[in-house]
Amino acid sequence: MIEAQAVNFAYRRGEPVIFDISCTIQDGEFVALLGHNGSGKTTLSRLFMALDHPRSGQVLVDGNDIAKLEPADLSVKVGYVFQNPDLQILEDTVFDEVAYGLKCKKMTEGIIKKQVADALTAMGLEDLVDAYPRALSFGQKRRLGVAAALALQPRTLILDEITNGQDEQEKEDMMAYLRKLNEEKKITIILITHDMNIARKFTKRVLVLNDGNLVFDGATHDLFDGKNNIEQWGLKQPVLSKLGAQLGLEALTPEEFCQKVELKAGDSK
Amino acid sequence: MRITAFTQLILVLAVTAWVFLLPVPMVATILALELVLLLYIKHDRMTMAAIGALTVFTGMMIVLQLLFGSSLYVSLTGGLRMFVMTTAFLCLLAATKIQDIAQALVEKFHLPCEYAFMLTTALRFVPDFLTDSQTTLDAQSCRGYSNRGNVLKRLYSYLAVVKPLVMRAVAKSDTLALSMELKGFGANTYKNMAPQSLGLLDYVVLMLIVLMSCYPWWHKMF
Repeated sequence: MIEAQAVNFAYRRGEPVIFDISCTIQDGEFVALLGHNGSGKTTLSRLFMALDHPRSGQVLVDGNDIAKLEPADLSVKVGYVFQNPDLQILEDTVFDEVAYGLKCKKMTEGIIKKQVADALTAMGLEDLVDAYPRALSFGQKRRLGVAAALALQPRTLILDEITNGQDEQEKEDMMAYLRKLNEEKKITIILITHDMNIARKFTKRVLVLNDGNLVFDGATHDLFDGKNNIEQWGLKQPVLSKLGAQLGLEALTPEEFCQKVELKAGDSK
Repeated sequence: MRITAFTQLILVLAVTAWVFLLPVPMVATILALELVLLLYIKHDRMTMAAIGALTVFTGMMIVLQLLFGSSLYVSLTGGLRMFVMTTAFLCLLAATKIQDIAQALVEKFHLPCEYAFMLTTALRFVPDFLTDSQTTLDAQSCRGYSNRGNVLKRLYSYLAVVKPLVMRAVAKSDTLALSMELKGFGANTYKNMAPQSLGLLDYVVLMLIVLMSCYPWWHKMF
């Protein structure tokens, strides 16, 4: 569980960028962190990982204040995947790359093998165990980043723009793996994204930041039900949500939407 | 009214020579003037950090010279000279656009534009490189990397940051080379930029540079 209590933050000698944010992310949730560029999404998520520490207020992970901790201390509880996978690829094989964190934690050979295998399987990379990580496709590199975080068996994953730069199929694959992690292994997922369709389709709860303020914290379908003027926060309503709001329907996929439209048309006849 | 990049470059070169030609009190005066000038041009955190880092580096150099048997006077003057030369360069970078420096190098010093471009690119990459190194450090920290333990352990573990950075830099330079080729680099030069003509202030400064550079001779004469 991650809890922010009246958190304020400013970069060194800079203007404040996070204003008095309080929120709690419970175990097993699938949450999207939304907001326009510069709204403070990444900054808030960095506070969750102890990459930065609040100027005032507290961040608690599993009930413990992380003010004195380093990211390395937290890595077994919270995994953080950065936007650019190339900036963290270190080793010459996928196996060694995923094993890096476990070696840092001085795990035994047996545990390393098992946890790496589990992480690679969870992200569908088990066939690439001996591949050269830099030669992977961008989507595979991003999954490798998630696997590397996952190997330490954290209970929470924070993913910064995890679907960026990927084609539609890769996005779908990535989100399917993440959904599976969330549903089967009960791993909490915090997704920082600009993709409203992804947020709408896969997450249950949404936190919206606007200029460092938390302006919405609630169920995903409530955000996209057409009653909130989300454009004022720099967000764009997904087309399916717009259509759904007009017709009074709720559907996650185009197929589901068409079915409901047909049903409604049938009822009206 | 400003002096051109050409005059500034000449001034930096002259300061580099003066630290060896002029007596120590005058070199110290030049340092004081440079620091005032630098803080006048740019009084921000980066400048203060650069001066701080330079002070530490100079201190280390002085200590090393002392350890290897130089006298205190030689060590201190060596440190002072290095400090003055580097601060002159900092002033140049703070006061002038990199493109203007490159243009002056090509136009006035007849440096091939490929070399001028190399200089500007190298300087431009520094902030990018610093940002990347911080991101890499953060990314590896999130995977369990920790800069703890004795110096040797810390140095060895820092490879986790250095290796991705070097690979990234190589990939970046490769992309840059390709995009430059695609834009026809080499066929074009800096000649499409407005030429920098010298003004009255430039001539005054250049005269002063000549006078100061002749100090050892006119000092003997009078």
